[in-house]
Amino acid sequence: MSWMFPSPGASFSLDMDSLQGLAYGFGVALGGANLLACLLGVFVGTLVGVLPGIGPIGAMALLIPSTFALGPTTALIMLAGIYYGSMYGGSTTSILVNVPGEAASVVTTIDGYQMARKGRAGAALAVSAVGSFVAGTLGIVALMLFAPPLAQVALKFGPPEYFALTLVGLIFLSQLGGGSAVKSFLMVGFGLMLSAVGMEPISGLPRFTFGQLQLAQGVELVPVAMGLYGIGEVLIIAERITGIPQMIRVKFRELFPTTEEWKRAFPPMIRGGVLGFFMGLIPGPAAILSTFTAYALEKRISRHPEEFGRGAIEGVAGPESANNSATAGAMVPLLALGVPFAPATAMLLGALIIHGVQPGPLLMSQKPEIFWGIVASMYIGNLMLLILNLPLVGVFASILNLPQPLLLGLILLLCLVGTFSVNNSLLDIYILIGMGGAGYILRKLRFDLAPVILALVLGPMLEKTLRQSLFLARGDIRVIVTRPITAFLLLMGLAVIILRPLLQWSKRFREK
Amino acid sequence: MGSLHLPMGSADRPGAGVYPFLVAIFLIALSVRLLIRSLKGKEAQEEREEPFPQGKDLRRVVFLGLALTLFAILLRPLGYGIGSAVLMGATLRLLGMPSWKKIILISIVSAAISYYLFVYVLDVPLPRGILFS
Repeated sequence: MSWMFPSPGASFSLDMDSLQGLAYGFGVALGGANLLACLLGVFVGTLVGVLPGIGPIGAMALLIPSTFALGPTTALIMLAGIYYGSMYGGSTTSILVNVPGEAASVVTTIDGYQMARKGRAGAALAVSAVGSFVAGTLGIVALMLFAPPLAQVALKFGPPEYFALTLVGLIFLSQLGGGSAVKSFLMVGFGLMLSAVGMEPISGLPRFTFGQLQLAQGVELVPVAMGLYGIGEVLIIAERITGIPQMIRVKFRELFPTTEEWKRAFPPMIRGGVLGFFMGLIPGPAAILSTFTAYALEKRISRHPEEFGRGAIEGVAGPESANNSATAGAMVPLLALGVPFAPATAMLLGALIIHGVQPGPLLMSQKPEIFWGIVASMYIGNLMLLILNLPLVGVFASILNLPQPLLLGLILLLCLVGTFSVNNSLLDIYILIGMGGAGYILRKLRFDLAPVILALVLGPMLEKTLRQSLFLARGDIRVIVTRPITAFLLLMGLAVIILRPLLQWSKRFREK
Repeated sequence: MGSLHLPMGSADRPGAGVYPFLVAIFLIALSVRLLIRSLKGKEAQEEREEPFPQGKDLRRVVFLGLALTLFAILLRPLGYGIGSAVLMGATLRLLGMPSWKKIILISIVSAAISYYLFVYVLDVPLPRGILFS
């Protein structure tokens, strides 16, 4: 297809509309290795969605090293597949075992498990798979329409705008994640400190390396993510290990919801889809928040709210749809601005950088095969997931029949080898284990770990843009607040910091 | 703290130390705030912090951490094959698999399969150690 685009110039995205781009993207995504990568990605995504103890972030960290041999497009298609694929898998165990395989499926346990106990497990599974598909597709359409104009606007952004955007992104993430604001900010600081280790970006001076030559390269994303999310989670499970969970069995013919159930489930799917996409745009753990919001919305507008908690199909359809379109929404800032706002898209950015691709608003015009390839692969991947999940749901769920010690042992081995394979470095393994211990302790103390990952990835960008801004303005720090876009962004950040304690305070006041 | 030893530069040409210094100030301020809150006992109450496990539960977590560290230390001298089998065995035993026969069998089989997969299929240059060198 390269003859269509003789020179990858910046003028390209201006005169091509999305349909042409999409057609081009399908050409990319259907090409041999990419189609296979997409299938592998969504398969692994479903698998880790089903398995408690390892989620999409750990799995992406695990597979980044194995994408070294692939091109950046193929790598990104596979890693993105894990991200949205895990949203399908997570619902399975929520419904069948009352154990969410994934943080974004916690809400599904409320009504999904109740439906299963009433013998409607099949219907719940089918509705969540179809809802995921409908909303996922809806989300991709929106992604396709929103991202290119946003990138156009972002072309005018200079270092001060990027600095403000990154800073506000971190503020939003740490404030909207729930939990203590002080603790979340501390985690941002922890991540930023980690990102400062290594060679300083402008003069090449080594910082905080303690004389270790290897640390001059900086702290790698993979061992940190895998330690915090993989090993940390295994240690948590090890603490309160209980035998094999009791699973509700599903027969294949039970998979079809009744007409009545379809009718009740369809509007929540659309509502969840729209809501999820817009929540995905907001910096924060988008997929998780969107499920809670969708559930609350469905309960509020339902004509029979008393059924919620006792197996209301809307309570499954809404959240399960929302978390899928949220993943598409979260891709917008990553692909249009080059700034990830959620830990999972931070992993994708990490992968882009490892593959030597410069993320940012020029990505779409300079590397159209990456943008449109990913978009098209998401359509294909969602279709694959629908096919994969409906008939094979029993197969995936039966993984839970394996003894849990064995599963956890395998996850540990995968984390260790995956980390080692990035640089063949023992130091990385020590970082992995240290981060695992840290992850365990921080989790127990209710620290939110998402800001660490995001700050580690965004840290270098934050420092670079700050120093560039200061350089451009000849040392005048006011450049950061006087430009209209930066002023607006910073005001939003400030508003979030101020409003949250106020809201909590007034809530406490009313309760008294 | 180390950031103080790095050059600060001037405002228009900020040096390597400025950014870490800013982050450090930010961290210190937050730590002080959190310390005050937890001394008042507010934090543990409002955030529903989980108590750390005790007795057997604590032992399980600590020993698993030790097993991981041991694996890292022994990886070079003993090699991946032996290391992974020992780690797997330790994990299974710690997490409550009762039969020793099963544990030994599963450990050896999973070590062999994963070694083959990583070294020959995925080309990870794992340390071979004393067994295969």
